[in-house]
Amino acid sequence: MSDISRTVLYGRHVAGGAKMVDFAGWEMPIQYPRGIVAEHLATRRAAGLFDVSHMGRIVFAGRGATAFLQRVLTNNAAELALGQAQYTVIPNAAGGAIDDAFLYRFEEGRYLLVVNASNRLADLAHFRANLTGQVEMLDQTDELAMISLQGPASQEMLSAILDQPALPAPARNSLGIGKVHGAKVLIARTGYTGEPLCFELMIASQQAGMLWDMLAARGAAPVGLGARDTLRLEAGLPLYGHELGIDRDGKEIPILAIAPARFAVSFAPAKGDFIGREALLRQHAVLERIGKGDYSDLSALPRRVMPLAVLDRLPARAGCDILAPDGRSVGYVTSGTVAPYWKFEGQGPSARPGEQSALRPVALGLVESSLKAGDKLQVQVRQQFCPAVVGPNLSAKSPPYARPVLCQI
Amino acid sequence: MVPQGYVCTKTHEWARLDAASGIVTVGITDYAVEQLGDIVYLELPAAGKAIQQEKVFGVIESVKAAVELYAPLDGQVVESNKAIADQLDVLAADPYNAGWMLKVKPAGANSLSGLMSPQEYQAYLESDEAKKH
Repeated sequence: MSDISRTVLYGRHVAGGAKMVDFAGWEMPIQYPRGIVAEHLATRRAAGLFDVSHMGRIVFAGRGATAFLQRVLTNNAAELALGQAQYTVIPNAAGGAIDDAFLYRFEEGRYLLVVNASNRLADLAHFRANLTGQVEMLDQTDELAMISLQGPASQEMLSAILDQPALPAPARNSLGIGKVHGAKVLIARTGYTGEPLCFELMIASQQAGMLWDMLAARGAAPVGLGARDTLRLEAGLPLYGHELGIDRDGKEIPILAIAPARFAVSFAPAKGDFIGREALLRQHAVLERIGKGDYSDLSALPRRVMPLAVLDRLPARAGCDILAPDGRSVGYVTSGTVAPYWKFEGQGPSARPGEQSALRPVALGLVESSLKAGDKLQVQVRQQFCPAVVGPNLSAKSPPYARPVLCQI
Repeated sequence: MVPQGYVCTKTHEWARLDAASGIVTVGITDYAVEQLGDIVYLELPAAGKAIQQEKVFGVIESVKAAVELYAPLDGQVVESNKAIADQLDVLAADPYNAGWMLKVKPAGANSLSGLMSPQEYQAYLESDEAKKH
């Protein structure tokens, strides 16, 4: 068990000169020779190619599968149409997260759940403990490889290598099944970069190298875990262990503290009871009250994860304190880094990325729920206090490189 | 490879004594630059500040992390390289010349004794111990 695992694409990472690191028990590329900044920019301009085979892939089948998933996940699995995927959370009874995940319904009669590599074994143990009759659970992490292709040129590249250029319907979370050189490829319009054009591909492990090589030959830039993190952070997307799970003080982060969970928690009558429902109802009530401008009782959701624009060159890192202008502590940075962006040329709808790039800090913070977009804050980095502003939650429709605008607030 | 005439610390800073002026120039090795990856921020002490051997004198940040810089000697900062703060690429392009960080007036004689020669540093990099720093 203590042995480190390698994905089926390990040899390609090493041959490509990647720096390999231990990540959640997997030997993964942190970056390729071009470096994190170049990989990030290549994804935003054209397309990035990611090996995400280290993530857990668990199949659920059997007559009881839907009812089981309704009980152990927060989203409404019964509402998931064939050919669709949904973001979902694996809740505990306290309304905290055991993990966050994506649920895919590629084929009739079975669901595919993709979970974080670091939580896979805990997730499997939790599911096993809650398993009821007529549910088959199958860990397919080794049999099925997963490759992510993200960025404005991704659609063109993928179409070009498919045996028949039929892609899933052009909407986020839609799914399809295609073939490359006769090998079946599961195609999902999902991703972890915030790119409007994005695909996650699953293929039998022994065929994964072929798929990787074909996409690389079309110009997709291999991207390591380093830029995967800067890309998701620029897009404001949560990462378990930072924005979900246990907070800096050892307390459970409420699931509804993260913005994307609003669309991943269902109280629909069809869903019925599920693990953590009572606690989530209390968290949801706080959001409803905040929506009406009532901040009187935030106890079930005292802090929420919000994007921060740090108006300084100094990177605010995970763990930095966040203060109100009067010096009062209002939370802390859950994830922070520096992300590059293409400087735009032109104005309005004709604006497009130019040849020049720059860097600016991006961060997510767990801060008091009463704060809102535009509120001024300070982030303490070592002995310095950097001005920061709460940013708006980013829409999945606008690409994250629109974010440099935030720095001029 | 670190050029002759330079000496290095286990934490990958270099120092070079100018015999004529008695001033020591300080920077970080090409190995350190390569390990850091994309460098995005550098914080250096101002002129006049005292630095102490093996104590933190500054911070360098890559996309991945913030890393502390340790002084190779006791002394007083005469000048810090302000130009590189806006041109961090210089650290990768020319770590032993244009990428210098500090000019330091040593606190005493033999301030650099105990640091590694380029050959010793190379052998140290090939040992397992280097990975800890």
